[in-house]
Amino acid sequence: MRSEWRAPLLLTLAWRNLWRHTRRTLMILFAFALGVWSMIVIAAITRGSMEQQLDKSILNLTGHIQIHLAAFRDDPVIEHRFLPPPALSAALAGADVMTWVPRVRVPAVIASERESAGVTLVGIEPERERGLSFIPGAVTEGRYLEAPDDPGMLLGRKLAERLETGLGRRVVLMSQDVNNRVADRGFRVVGVFDTQPRQMEEAYVFIGRATAQQMLKLDDNITEVALMTTDRDHLEELLARLLVAVPALDVQPWTVLEPLLVLTRKITDVVLIIWYAIVFAAMSFGLINTLLMAVFERTREFGLFQSLGMRPAHILGQVLVESLILLALALAAGNLLAAATVYALRDGIDLTSVAEGMELVGVAPIIYPAWSAGDLAAANLLVFVLGLAASLYPAWRAARHVPVEAITRV
Amino acid sequence: MEAKRRFISATYRQCFLAALLFHSAIAIAAPPEDAATLVKRAIDYWRDSSSYSVIDMTIRRPDWERTMTIRVWTRGQKESLVRVTAPPKDAGNATLLLDNEMWSFTPKINRVIKIPSSMMNQSWMGSDFSNNDLAKADELIEQYTHKLLGQESHDGHTVYVIESVPKEAAPVVWGHEVVKIRDDWVILEHAFYDQQDVLVKKLVTSEIRSMGGKPVVARERMQRVDRPGEWTEVVTQEVRFGIPIAAGTFTLSNLRNPRE
Repeated sequence: MRSEWRAPLLLTLAWRNLWRHTRRTLMILFAFALGVWSMIVIAAITRGSMEQQLDKSILNLTGHIQIHLAAFRDDPVIEHRFLPPPALSAALAGADVMTWVPRVRVPAVIASERESAGVTLVGIEPERERGLSFIPGAVTEGRYLEAPDDPGMLLGRKLAERLETGLGRRVVLMSQDVNNRVADRGFRVVGVFDTQPRQMEEAYVFIGRATAQQMLKLDDNITEVALMTTDRDHLEELLARLLVAVPALDVQPWTVLEPLLVLTRKITDVVLIIWYAIVFAAMSFGLINTLLMAVFERTREFGLFQSLGMRPAHILGQVLVESLILLALALAAGNLLAAATVYALRDGIDLTSVAEGMELVGVAPIIYPAWSAGDLAAANLLVFVLGLAASLYPAWRAARHVPVEAITRV
Repeated sequence: MEAKRRFISATYRQCFLAALLFHSAIAIAAPPEDAATLVKRAIDYWRDSSSYSVIDMTIRRPDWERTMTIRVWTRGQKESLVRVTAPPKDAGNATLLLDNEMWSFTPKINRVIKIPSSMMNQSWMGSDFSNNDLAKADELIEQYTHKLLGQESHDGHTVYVIESVPKEAAPVVWGHEVVKIRDDWVILEHAFYDQQDVLVKKLVTSEIRSMGGKPVVARERMQRVDRPGEWTEVVTQEVRFGIPIAAGTFTLSNLRNPRE
């Protein structure tokens, strides 16, 4: 019963004490809300840009899992081809596989009337690439490939410019067939694609899978299977199943295929934590200072409370509750502000004016902030727990006055 | 007696066949609509069944000019061997062509290198000819459709002007080529146009002489339109046709260790 009225008493006391100095309280509230806001918004922007980079890389012909012959990843040449075993398509029929495609990917040379360039030739199944790679949505001029045996070719805009060729013109692709002989064929450019980063436009040309197999005398052999799953962060089960189904092949998740992405992800986490720590350190000084001030000016009051029989623990509690209310209000305001900011930026932060520089470091010119429950929880918990911890010192100072001394202090 | 009669009969038959062939040649020349046949005849005439020739190739650039002497053996349309004999700096460099494939031998490093597809578009020995120009010279027959554009006259000969358009999947970058063939099958001009009908480069014959028993191109020049001061001129010093060629000539071992 006693504890029932005591808690509200502490709460009432804390609340009223807070608003004794409205300006001071509002200032510290504003400082805290600003800190929380910056933590969350910066986390959302960083996370958004990183996730975008990750999605982009996965769409840039990576997929969630790739299957090759073991030697292909070190030496991507036609010698390292394979005939997809029936067990593979059976294993890929599971519900956790959204879509999968066979590909032919070999180095080649492309030549126009005036220039030639080294490229990676990719033979694709046009329809099945939808949702798996960027290419179906990247054709901005002309048309996309229509069938695996489409005789046409998709050329990147930058490469088309370099070769001084374009839509509707013919170019020649040269590579090596399975017998190590020159394989060459003329192709008409049926589509020109634009993509980010623009190096991709120069690195790849796309033709039909069957056309590529015919040109390179591959029969039904391919060099790569790429697939998209329903959850890119939990691939273990599918990987294990594929390893059992096709033990002779090299099955690798995107985390192995693109180690840089995994590293970027880890670095992002660390950078965010460092950012949180810096912001919080600055905020906590303000908090401790404010509370110390409040405690100092109420020395006589605390002395009186104690003389009237309030136990030091309750004085400690009173200051802590004060800090708690302050933190809760600041967190609420900061989160609301951050939510409003992220909502306002939902159409992306347009950095196209500095796109060229951004592209160098692999960041897209438009950044879409992304919430992450983890980042949000981390920011809130960190501020709340460490904020309370920081206010322990002023609270402890308040609780350890000797009543007589406190009352007689002028 | 019997043997002699059979021999005579065989000889007659051969004469008859030759006459028939000759006749058909005339017949082809007479209705010149069939441009493909004209091109094939010209290429057959140029390559013959086999040949051996000595050629001076002069490469002209704005700052320098140099001349190489080259010996060439060919058999049919798919086999060629090219060997540089002068100047001493380049002597011994050799190129072997079998069908569409190409190997080069450099004595300085004593290595045979297979020219990869990536290098087929590059210049051959620094000249205005690309590796492809050499390796695919006979593709004009199979990979193109031909159309007779008109006729001109040259030194009292009729000259057929033929437009050759590469087939859709042909490994040819040109939009079309215009070949001028004289009625004695000497090729006078071969022009390469891009796909917007702009002339890119041109091989022009400037001298025709009788060598190896028939009139052949004695001097021709390859020049790119966009590089006025640069060209490569090929002068044939000596040529023999239909000669027997040693069995091992067109082999990698002969490319490395010349036996001729």
